[in-house]
Amino acid sequence: MTRWLRWTAGIVLTGVPLLLAIAGPWLVDGSPTRKRAFSSGADHPLGTDFVGRDVWQQVLLGGRTVLLVALLATALAYVVAVPWGIAAALGRRRFVDELLMRPLDVVLALPSLLLLLLLATIAPSGSLTLVGIVALLNLPGLTRIVRAAALEIGSRPAVEAMRLQGEGWWRITVGYVARSMLRTLAADLGTRFTGALYLVASASFLGVGVPPDASDWAVMVDRNRPGLFVQPWAVIAPALLIVALSVGVNLLFDRVLAARSRSDLRGAAS
Amino acid sequence: MAGLSPGRYALRRLLVGVLQVFAVATAVFLLTEALPGDAAVALAGDNPDPARIEQIRRVMRLDQPLAERFADWLGGLFRFDLGVSLVSQRPVTAFLTDGLAPTMLLAALTLLVLVPVAVLLGVVAAVREGSPLDRAVTTVSVGLHAIPEFALAIVLVAVFGVQLRWLPPTAVGVGDNLLRQPAVLVLPLVVLLARPICSISRLVRAGMIEALHADYVRHARRLGLSPGRVRLRHALPNAVAAAVPQLAHTTDWLLGGVIVVEAVFVIPGLGTTLVDAVAARDLPVVQGLVVFFAVTTVLVNLVADIVSFRLSPRTEVVR
Repeated sequence: MTRWLRWTAGIVLTGVPLLLAIAGPWLVDGSPTRKRAFSSGADHPLGTDFVGRDVWQQVLLGGRTVLLVALLATALAYVVAVPWGIAAALGRRRFVDELLMRPLDVVLALPSLLLLLLLATIAPSGSLTLVGIVALLNLPGLTRIVRAAALEIGSRPAVEAMRLQGEGWWRITVGYVARSMLRTLAADLGTRFTGALYLVASASFLGVGVPPDASDWAVMVDRNRPGLFVQPWAVIAPALLIVALSVGVNLLFDRVLAARSRSDLRGAAS
Repeated sequence: MAGLSPGRYALRRLLVGVLQVFAVATAVFLLTEALPGDAAVALAGDNPDPARIEQIRRVMRLDQPLAERFADWLGGLFRFDLGVSLVSQRPVTAFLTDGLAPTMLLAALTLLVLVPVAVLLGVVAAVREGSPLDRAVTTVSVGLHAIPEFALAIVLVAVFGVQLRWLPPTAVGVGDNLLRQPAVLVLPLVVLLARPICSISRLVRAGMIEALHADYVRHARRLGLSPGRVRLRHALPNAVAAAVPQLAHTTDWLLGGVIVVEAVFVIPGLGTTLVDAVAARDLPVVQGLVVFFAVTTVLVNLVADIVSFRLSPRTEVVR
């Protein structure tokens, strides 16, 4: 019963913001009209924002960038980290491993949000920059996971057998090692994505990498703060959507992992 | 690492820490060089008037050779001289000393509350493994764990600061001595605690469950020691040892969280200083703060690694 409840909670909490973020921009009708800032009225269910735009319309428009930047950053991190980690683990020489892994330690020596702010100071602002920075911040952790998994898989008898059989490097690494670690990577995906979402939203809130009047949930929270006393929905609605999305995604991935480890146990028992 | 004495381990770990700080200081310096084109023009940003560019070039001494500037930067670090701000010409160290008190207060109070609460939650959940209480704690911590601080903060401010009016919504007008009005600190602390409490209590819970099922605990029980004594004296230290490195890792988050929380609650600490400097593209201030935060992070991790080495010397702590 509670399990059912947790699934539903995860799905609803993820689904609502996800739906708004994806379908929202298509639901916006008409061009934005400017009214008085922080006013409310019958034609504005959630009132108006700091420059007098309709809050509901901004909510519909504002999810896409947050979601897209977080998704792209996560994907980019995987694309770079998987070959990097495998190369470090399966390289013939020890110094290659050191050479590949040590530079990443520098990134780990700094709090991620701090590094994000530092890089944003010198990089040209824009969504793509944010994608690159957030991907870079996720790189060390992910590469370590990949490397650890590749080390374990690379020492399996199956790999030894493939080598003896004269299989090529490509078939062994991509065909076997990379494929075998898919489960490990899938287990990491949930936290990786919520981590990226966290960084992207926090950066946008602090005004990094986004124009100050962008239609973006995190930017809305920041810019509409002065109106918190008169027109709280302009702040609360986007903040709640971000909260729901992060909580939902986390709950959902937790459930999926739990369900899978249960079915693994059953499989091992039979 | 069998047979490594705590002293030797500490020394080795210290060496790694020094190298890390050196690497960060070098990387932070070289970032200026990574700026596309003329660094002074890039930093002038939206208002590239020649006077400002000339001034940036002079303050950052961009006309001097790279090696000389690098030697000066490293030498300055030892003398606690981090250059001057591009905007106000104030020394960067003055920014540091101004913002230090509120930030340290927030971080210290957070850690002070975090450790006992997280350990208690973890232990209670572990002792009643599988009970409704355990499941409630676990589910809530899975959910809360990922919420960005600013979103949580603004929701709490709206509810407790604006609607119910129980707590002040921001620290505006309190000044830098936040302790004069402790009510101001409640919401920032709750926000800062939310994420780390979740992760630490989950680790303590997992460590405690493992310890409670271990042979030595079973043995202690068979010897007739009271359950409370077994839990507190035998199982708990091992459970906590596993959580210490994560506690250090939490300081990374904490520093990130402090930046956001200070921005939300308008607290005049290092985070606010940093965000302002980023907005103004005031590179020397940003560099100085980053080096300062890096030293703090490296130090905390150093201490944590040595502590967990002392607690369970069997395992070398790899971060």
